[in-house]
Amino acid sequence: MAQYLSPLDDVFAALADPTRRAVVGVLGRGPASVGVLAQSASMTLPSFMKHVHTLERCGLIRTSKSGRVRTCTLERERLAVVDGWLAEQREVWEGRTDRLEQFVTDHEESP
Amino acid sequence: MMLDPDLDPDLDLRIERTIRAPRPRVWRAWTDPLELARWWLPAPMHCRVDLLDVVPGGAFVTSMSEDGVTFGPHLDACFLVVEPGERIVFTNALDSRWRPADPSPVAMTAEITFRDHPEGTDYRAVVRHADARSRSQHEQLGFADGWGTVTAQLAAISEAAEELA
Repeated sequence: MAQYLSPLDDVFAALADPTRRAVVGVLGRGPASVGVLAQSASMTLPSFMKHVHTLERCGLIRTSKSGRVRTCTLERERLAVVDGWLAEQREVWEGRTDRLEQFVTDHEESP
Repeated sequence: MMLDPDLDPDLDLRIERTIRAPRPRVWRAWTDPLELARWWLPAPMHCRVDLLDVVPGGAFVTSMSEDGVTFGPHLDACFLVVEPGERIVFTNALDSRWRPADPSPVAMTAEITFRDHPEGTDYRAVVRHADARSRSQHEQLGFADGWGTVTAQLAAISEAAEELA
């Protein structure tokens, strides 16, 4: 499974989306209900729920339901993994590979 | 798919990419000093390849510069394995003169493999890092700070998004 190969990939993928980054930003100030979050993202509840599920699946947030209200809480430890030295090294190597790819494909067309 | 049972998700990383260029082309970009200098560092940083002796034990030294005039150290490493056209392994845990080193932020061994792929080259990099636990313990004192940075950045992004909305 891809998840097994790189547990960070799904965290990065989740954070690649501006709506989800905004949710993480809001939750950085404290837990909030799905309804409030959807409203601040100017989205309908059903389409917003997809983002909630993505964030929950990769472990960036957890949710709990009390009555009719589902509350989202940030998993700070999970977010910390993208702020560590390994994430930084991954970024360095991804960037390097991007540039190598660009370099050899740009220079291949005019042999 | 290749699974590396010795890959530690807390310490190691793997990059896999299909590069749409023939394998010898990608190999040359890695092993020709003038070509390597073109992509090794992100722009606007300038890269100078000081030593690139692509043989086992050979030196791999690069410098970087912001203005293209004054260069500072970037990488001081040596090759461990070189299989022409197929595989390069290098480490910065030994410097280019084989002196055991303690590089910043953490020592690593990188294994780059090049394989033929119907669309070009199957390019893989596996980077194994030394245990940075002592370092991260040190950083744990500043852990909240580092964390605060991310949160602040994310908050700034979300606020900017709100203003746009």
